Amino acid sequence: MKEFWQRYKRNKGAVVGLVALVLIIIVAVIAPFLFPKSPWEMSGAPFQRPFGEYPLGTDMLGRNILSGIVHGARVSLMVGIVSTFFAVTLGLAFGALAGYFGGIIDDALMRFTEFFQTIPSFVFAIVLVAIFRPSIVSIVAAIAVVSWPPVARLVRGEFLSLRRREFVQAAVVVGESHMKIILGQILPNALSPVIVMASLMIASAILLESALSFLGLGDPNMMSWGYMIGASRSVIRQAWWMSTFPGVAILITVLALNLVGEGLSDAMNPRLARKGRA
Amino acid sequence: MKSVAILLAIVVMNFLLIRLAPGDPASVIAGEAGAADAKYIAQLREQFGLDKPLTTQLALYVGGVVTFDLGWSYRNQRSVADMVGERLPATLLLTVSAFVVALGVGIGLGVLAATRVGTWADSLVTVAALGFYATPLFWIGLMAILLFSVNLGWLPAFGMQTPVAMAPADRVLDVARHMVLPVLTLALFFVAIYARLTRASMLEVQDMDFVRTARAKGLRTGRILRAHTLRNAILPVITFAGIQAGQLVGGSIVVETVFAWPGIGRLAFEALLQRDYNLLLGVFFLTSVMVIAFNLVTDLVYSMVDPRIEVGS
Amino acid sequence: MTEPLLSVRDLTIDLPPGSDRPHAVEKVSFDLHENEILCLVGESGSGKSLTAAAVMGLLPQPSVKPSGGELIFEDRDLLKLSEDEWRQYRGKRFGMIFQEPMTALNPVMRVSDQILEVLEAHGEPGGPERVMELLEAVNLPDPERLKSAYPHHLSGGQRQRVMIAMALALRPTILIADEPTTALDVTTQAQILALIRQLQSERQMGVLFITHDFGVVAEIADRVAVMQHGRIVELGAKEQVLEAPMHDYTKRLIEAVPTLDPPERRPLDRAPTVLSVKGLGKTYRTQGGLFRPRRVVTAAKNVTLSIRKGETLGLVGESGSGKTTVGRCIIRLIDSDAGRIDFHGVDLNAFRGRALRPYRKRVQMIFQDPFASLNPRHKVGDIIAAGPIAFGTPKPEAVKRAQDLLGLVGLDPGVIDRYPHEFSGGQRQRIGIARALALQPELLVADEPVSALDVSVQAQVLDLLADIKRRLNLSMLFITHDLRVAAQVCDRVAVMYRGEIVEQGSTGELFRHPTHPYTRSLLDAIPGKHWRAKRA
Repeated sequence: MKEFWQRYKRNKGAVVGLVALVLIIIVAVIAPFLFPKSPWEMSGAPFQRPFGEYPLGTDMLGRNILSGIVHGARVSLMVGIVSTFFAVTLGLAFGALAGYFGGIIDDALMRFTEFFQTIPSFVFAIVLVAIFRPSIVSIVAAIAVVSWPPVARLVRGEFLSLRRREFVQAAVVVGESHMKIILGQILPNALSPVIVMASLMIASAILLESALSFLGLGDPNMMSWGYMIGASRSVIRQAWWMSTFPGVAILITVLALNLVGEGLSDAMNPRLARKGRA
Repeated sequence: MKSVAILLAIVVMNFLLIRLAPGDPASVIAGEAGAADAKYIAQLREQFGLDKPLTTQLALYVGGVVTFDLGWSYRNQRSVADMVGERLPATLLLTVSAFVVALGVGIGLGVLAATRVGTWADSLVTVAALGFYATPLFWIGLMAILLFSVNLGWLPAFGMQTPVAMAPADRVLDVARHMVLPVLTLALFFVAIYARLTRASMLEVQDMDFVRTARAKGLRTGRILRAHTLRNAILPVITFAGIQAGQLVGGSIVVETVFAWPGIGRLAFEALLQRDYNLLLGVFFLTSVMVIAFNLVTDLVYSMVDPRIEVGS
Repeated sequence: MTEPLLSVRDLTIDLPPGSDRPHAVEKVSFDLHENEILCLVGESGSGKSLTAAAVMGLLPQPSVKPSGGELIFEDRDLLKLSEDEWRQYRGKRFGMIFQEPMTALNPVMRVSDQILEVLEAHGEPGGPERVMELLEAVNLPDPERLKSAYPHHLSGGQRQRVMIAMALALRPTILIADEPTTALDVTTQAQILALIRQLQSERQMGVLFITHDFGVVAEIADRVAVMQHGRIVELGAKEQVLEAPMHDYTKRLIEAVPTLDPPERRPLDRAPTVLSVKGLGKTYRTQGGLFRPRRVVTAAKNVTLSIRKGETLGLVGESGSGKTTVGRCIIRLIDSDAGRIDFHGVDLNAFRGRALRPYRKRVQMIFQDPFASLNPRHKVGDIIAAGPIAFGTPKPEAVKRAQDLLGLVGLDPGVIDRYPHEFSGGQRQRIGIARALALQPELLVADEPVSALDVSVQAQVLDLLADIKRRLNLSMLFITHDLRVAAQVCDRVAVMYRGEIVEQGSTGELFRHPTHPYTRSLLDAIPGKHWRAKRA
């Protein structure tokens, strides 16, 4: 663990990303204390420029933009984490079964995965959310449904190669059960790329959520960054700040997650990391 | 073969999604006509074949798709196939241009970074790629409009052409000017992806035995780079570009919405606003077909650049 | 003696900071003369390959760089050359061939183009006709057809010939060969060695030949330099080094090389039969796709063999001969599709899945790769105890037993809480043996158990296996490609060729009077077969 942190620390960007991410999480957690009023409520005059009474100004309905951004962090992180959790679980199950058992099971599961990987994921997510009515549940479900195939493919690849490794064959020979081999022998060795992928997936889930709510498919009860940009884009000529600041929030959050993902990758595969940096 | 199977599965899923969509089309129409009496609805249901068993309906639907009948947009009172068909060229223009730009610039920057590992050029490319990889497309689009259209006034912000009559040569120029911002917006995210991928792939190939062999032969650095390193490093980029095709098409929806580009993405947004599910699923079907076509093309390209894949033997 | 072609003086190569020693190569000096083959021999980590890379200017800079000494070639110090100047030497004055023919050629470029490239890079005339001549010179079949061939169309031996053609295209003064036959089968190795020998004497080249194999040294060297821990410990004419080594390390290395004279063994005719395999067959089918033809590979065909109690049967053959497939069918890692595997008279092929469990503990396996065969995330104690725990032994008892087993295989019982990466290759192989013994099996299947180990470690592990086998009266199926090892370890030997056993018999008989032509060619191909290492 200490060694892991030593290697992680060597990637300066990853440390910056981690600090930023922790700050964003803290803000998201204490949002109700920072701005107890609902972000949907009017708080002052509309169209107030930033850096005045309100640090980031107000929107066309006089809502405090900073409050919207702080509350939006909750939605973004929640959607990102929960949908990634489900996508990773699904992908792990599919990939592990396909890679371990091979043969017909592998064929069937991989055809299924291929199908989901071929259909354009963003369009599919739009269709799902539109048909099942926009809500936090349908958004999380749609993002999970379109994001699991890469996990399944990654896990399958890892399992396929680990399955042939001699230590797994040794476990078969000494009489361990399939379940014990999958969970005890292979999974721990397959997990580090999955963890890296999961951190990057949270980032893309946040991007996906923002694009959905930008198109008007956000949960109507939750303030989200994409919604803020989408709602104010028609007044961009008069009020640049309304769409600019929520975008910066998305950028920083997603960047932080990507940096952390890279740091994890470096720390978990020390050999690859050295190659990239020479 | 595989593509046909996937296509068929998409058609079936499309059918199921239409069934799941809120509001039975008959009652929707009846509602709009202001005549909600049961008899009229039943009559409409019969007219649309909604009273038949589900499997028969599916067969009818599949048969329809085969003859390019994607259903009826009740809101617009037009055939869905006609509507998406007339929007398709604009979307193809946007996505194919963005793809070519992204691949060209992305690979170029990736090679630049990989051959100068550790220098400021490498850091610049790496940081820029990280940034664009983390930025939502629609926001880049809006910021580009803010900067290049609103503040600087260099480029048009909306649409595909100026709605006045002009000579063909001027028209081409006009469309080209309108294309700059949407194409670059859509391309940037993928430039970031391809640049990162190319850089990583180049660094990996650089350490391979055959590159050492090339050095042992006394070849020039440029020759080693072109004929040996890049030639092999590009293979995973092509594979990935194929996998990413769906994302490119998805991105065009957002970009078309931002720039009011008259393609099927914009059409999807309109369908969303009007809750026109038939139209939305028509768009979904067409984009799926585009992705499959895209995958076939990348597979073909791949088999041409990698001699280890032998087609047809 | 004449002026040397190349004179290496006090060459020192630094390792990156944090490595286990500061210098990869330390004050190494030797001369390479015209028309001679100098073998640089040593175990892994001795610095022999880095020395070769330094002479070629191919060190993986900047992490590893020469920090001292000179490389004198035609009155110039090569270490002072710029990258541009180096290019005039590489390919033109120095040719090099590498260990891995499978990865040393560019997979997406025609082999003829890869040869042509050398000529073009140095402005040599001749073009495609020269390429044809070169392909013929290295005895490649059908050079005309090879014009359009890609590397994946060629076998390992053919690729190595292409590498040689490339290295010799410009008639270099010096050829550097870094373990050029290590990845090849023994019969292919013999051909490549003969080819290098022939081309060397035709062209009067100086060859710097890197190898770990004293058999190869005996076959090809004129002079020998023995390296240990980055230093040359002994340098001299082949006869002198092989027959009368001076340095202790050289003596130990040469002693560790198994001889080809099988020791006398008492016959085991009256011991009961433990395993009897009859008519075993295994065919692999790959599903064809739209763009892929269906492929059918017969890995094993009508294999019949038996092992008595306390007996070691050697299964020898080249890669692809099916020996590993047979081993894995017997241990039931893969299902065979024909024949019987009778273990004490019970056909194991009749069982699947759980029904096999009672037999799992009675037949165990030792694997080839000491790095891949231990789960990097499990502690050594848990690895050894896994089998007994799977069969219901309480954990404390299983761990106690693991400690005893570690003692049995010559390791400190206190290491049960360590992870595999803290051990050397030889120690890991001991752990693998302890794991196999944990279930108290009657039959061991050992799949190339020593081929990944250095020769001195190999000797120790073989001694351990022999000792354990005798003490526990185990039967063993010993799969190997190395006939020297087979001669020392096995009571009887079965020779496999293309999925079939072509000959089997007692080891002494088979080595002295082989009957099948394939066995004869196999024995003929062993490098250094005329050299009999002297025993202390």
